[in-house]
Amino acid sequence: MIQIKQLSPLAAPYVAQVSHKPRKNYKPPIQRGDVSGRLMLELVNVTKKYGQAIAVNGVSLSIPAGSMVAVLGRSGAGKSTLLRMINRMAEPTSGEVLWQGKSVLQLRGSALRAWRARCGMMFQQFNLSPRLDVLTNVLVGSVSRRPTLQTLIKYFPPHERARAVLELHALDMADLALQRAGTLSGGQQQRVAIARTMMQLPDLVLADEPIASLDPANAETVMSALSSISRERGITVLVNLHSLEIARAYCPRIIGMAKGKVVFDGSPEQLDAAMVEKIYGRRKSAELALAPAVSTALSSIPTGEVA
Amino acid sequence: MSKSADQPTHLDRSSLSLEQIVEHFEADRSRALRRGRLVQLLQVLVITGLLGGAFQASGLFSSYLGDGAIGRIANFLSRLLPDLQPGRLFEDRTTSGSLMYWLYDLDLWLKLLAETVQIAVVATVFGAILALPLSFLAARNLTPAVWIYWTVRRTSELVRTLPDIIVALILVAAFGLGPIPGVIALTLGTTASLTKLFAEANEAADMHQLEALQSAGGNWWQQLRFGLIPQVLPNLASYSLLRLEINVGGAAALGIVGAGGIGVELSRAITFTEFDTYFALLLLIVGLIFVLDLTSEAIRDRLIGADKTA
Amino acid sequence: MIAQLDLIERATLIAPNSVFLPWTNRVGRWFCWMVGVILLGWMCHNLDLRLDVLIRGFTKLGVLTKAMFPPVANGAELKILQSLLVTFAMAVSGTTLGIMVALPLGIIGAKNVIRNSAIHFVIRRTLDILRGVPVLVWALVMISAFGLGPIAGVIALALADFPHLAKQFAEAIENSDAKPSQGILASGGNRLEAMRLGLLPQVVPVMASQSLYTLESNFRHAAILGVVGAGGIGFELEERIRIFAFDQVAWIVVAYVMSVTLLDWISSQMRSRLV
Repeated sequence: MIQIKQLSPLAAPYVAQVSHKPRKNYKPPIQRGDVSGRLMLELVNVTKKYGQAIAVNGVSLSIPAGSMVAVLGRSGAGKSTLLRMINRMAEPTSGEVLWQGKSVLQLRGSALRAWRARCGMMFQQFNLSPRLDVLTNVLVGSVSRRPTLQTLIKYFPPHERARAVLELHALDMADLALQRAGTLSGGQQQRVAIARTMMQLPDLVLADEPIASLDPANAETVMSALSSISRERGITVLVNLHSLEIARAYCPRIIGMAKGKVVFDGSPEQLDAAMVEKIYGRRKSAELALAPAVSTALSSIPTGEVA
Repeated sequence: MSKSADQPTHLDRSSLSLEQIVEHFEADRSRALRRGRLVQLLQVLVITGLLGGAFQASGLFSSYLGDGAIGRIANFLSRLLPDLQPGRLFEDRTTSGSLMYWLYDLDLWLKLLAETVQIAVVATVFGAILALPLSFLAARNLTPAVWIYWTVRRTSELVRTLPDIIVALILVAAFGLGPIPGVIALTLGTTASLTKLFAEANEAADMHQLEALQSAGGNWWQQLRFGLIPQVLPNLASYSLLRLEINVGGAAALGIVGAGGIGVELSRAITFTEFDTYFALLLLIVGLIFVLDLTSEAIRDRLIGADKTA
Repeated sequence: MIAQLDLIERATLIAPNSVFLPWTNRVGRWFCWMVGVILLGWMCHNLDLRLDVLIRGFTKLGVLTKAMFPPVANGAELKILQSLLVTFAMAVSGTTLGIMVALPLGIIGAKNVIRNSAIHFVIRRTLDILRGVPVLVWALVMISAFGLGPIAGVIALALADFPHLAKQFAEAIENSDAKPSQGILASGGNRLEAMRLGLLPQVVPVMASQSLYTLESNFRHAAILGVVGAGGIGFELEERIRIFAFDQVAWIVVAYVMSVTLLDWISSQMRSRLV
């Protein structure tokens, strides 16, 4: 068995054995139970307020390592904000965020950057650099561990480039490596984003509505890649989703949010119709109706030549 | 005008018939039109007054123009043209009527042209290098503090109002004649101008790409390098090339006050009333700028068509 | 190390060009940068841009700058303000003259007005050539023709302006949307009406905005022209620089900068209302 350095201690025991032939499919997962309690993400009464508006209201969660969790809710329910508070792209107004028992809210400087590198974030709009080629976009994932001067002249050593190639290859994108990222389709770009995230050697993947801009086929590809990542590399994946069906299909645990609070936390089977209504609210029954006065006025305008 | 006459009256439309609604609308419309026409008339009067005053103050319609001016221009134009005789076109420079007689110092002039171009290039390069970090400070989305933003913006505007010539004159007093004051004056103007242009390009950039780098654990420089620069580089290069063209013209002009390059010869030719030499130099300058214009347009087209990876 | 080599080995099987960039790429990029830097260094050397020269000059500049404080005008305040007004008048007259010449040329030079591409090419190329002449050069010529004074400046400004303006007007007309004109033609109007109601409302604000911008830059040029004798504030400035009266120079510069800022502000207010 090959000891691969520079992989996070979490993933190393669970990486499948590799052969020298380029692999086409991910192998079946190695079954793991819940890892020891300290390897988990905990949110304790996390709140985020923008002035008077409360985006996230006292959310407490504990997410064991290696789980794949879907976060469901309407727009504005606080899903994005929740994810962003985990990697400190947004600061909680109050509450605690703990990883392996240690608070991440006190981190600063290079420690904060190291933490952000360990949380790989994915975005709805992919957020690639369209003018750079695919390989450079993926290599960007490694900037936190490389000396700044080298990155500024775009020097990445061969083993980093090799890792980037392999990540792309696992997602079937290796032949597009030297193409400009802006020329790719949406699904392809999101897969490049996955490769970039994997390049960070994360313990945690925070996917903020990664499939909202994709058609169903590409959405399936992305979700299955995320699912494989969670299973095979033991990485905790939190996905913000709009679609209930996809959440049910891929995620063993679903968290439902409404108005900044967690209203559901359990397996897909436990998600019944009442719960769904609580998360999404009742839809308006009828479409907008014209005010009666205007509609009669419209019908009284004579057609034909106006004198 | 009372308030009710100014604004369209607010009606409870549900209580009126269709005809009354149209009537009210027409009344409002003609009122608005009348006011608009009045304002326009006022503007025309003001502008005519200003123009009249300006023409008067600049003496455009004074006796100068009437008094044989056309004759003077014609005479002057004839003195501009060189004395070329077809038979002797390719003789050497001692023979009057030949091309070389007209362009008698051509090797010197070409060297000075090259110097002018070099002045412009050096000034543009240093100006762009200085403008780049300043443009980060002057961009609202990238600046570390609002007061820094305002300071850099206002200072660069202030510097931009200073004409190159005046700065060059003062610098000539400090550095003596030669290309150095020209380079410094042009660098100053270039930095100020490019700071604003670069900053505008930076403000139009998509911040999401920087956000992606931040979330991957990149520091500020890495965010700029991989998030911002790839987006704005074609614009920056295009602005710099445009500025290079302007600087070549500026370098030629600055020479007139002694700051090096072909302008020196230009001023010398006028002083000695060698109008045909002046014309020759003029042709050289125009030719240079024309060629530069074409090349820079070609380069800029390629940049915008952009197969340029950053 | 072993693990890294293993990664490299596997990746090279898949995409060798990505792992190790072909040497042509890397050498090519470094080569271009090297050439650029060497060229720059050579140019600096040619222009005598040495560090000791710069230091000496900047110290002398420091002395001059100290002489600039406090800025005084020594009784010439009114004269200077008057010459500022003359400068402004020069700018306005020059711009107006330039617009009057540029307008017909711009209309003719627009691809959608005159569709003959030979004429279009000739007109645009001529304008391009004329655009290359710096205004100072025109000024010298005009001074020789009309003598010292603001007239030479006005005509020089007009001559320097109209190629720029004509090109901008032509581009504004070319970039305008054809749809309003087509709509008018489709609902029964003739070509003149299509131009008046479809084309004009689009291009007039743009052209007015460009003219105002030209006025702004002409005010700066007019100040410069004074240096060579075409009247206005440049003349006052040059006089005082020559006799090294730098405190007065500073006063004039301050007054000038304030008036430029004022003009720019007024102009940008008007321009924002136009477009």
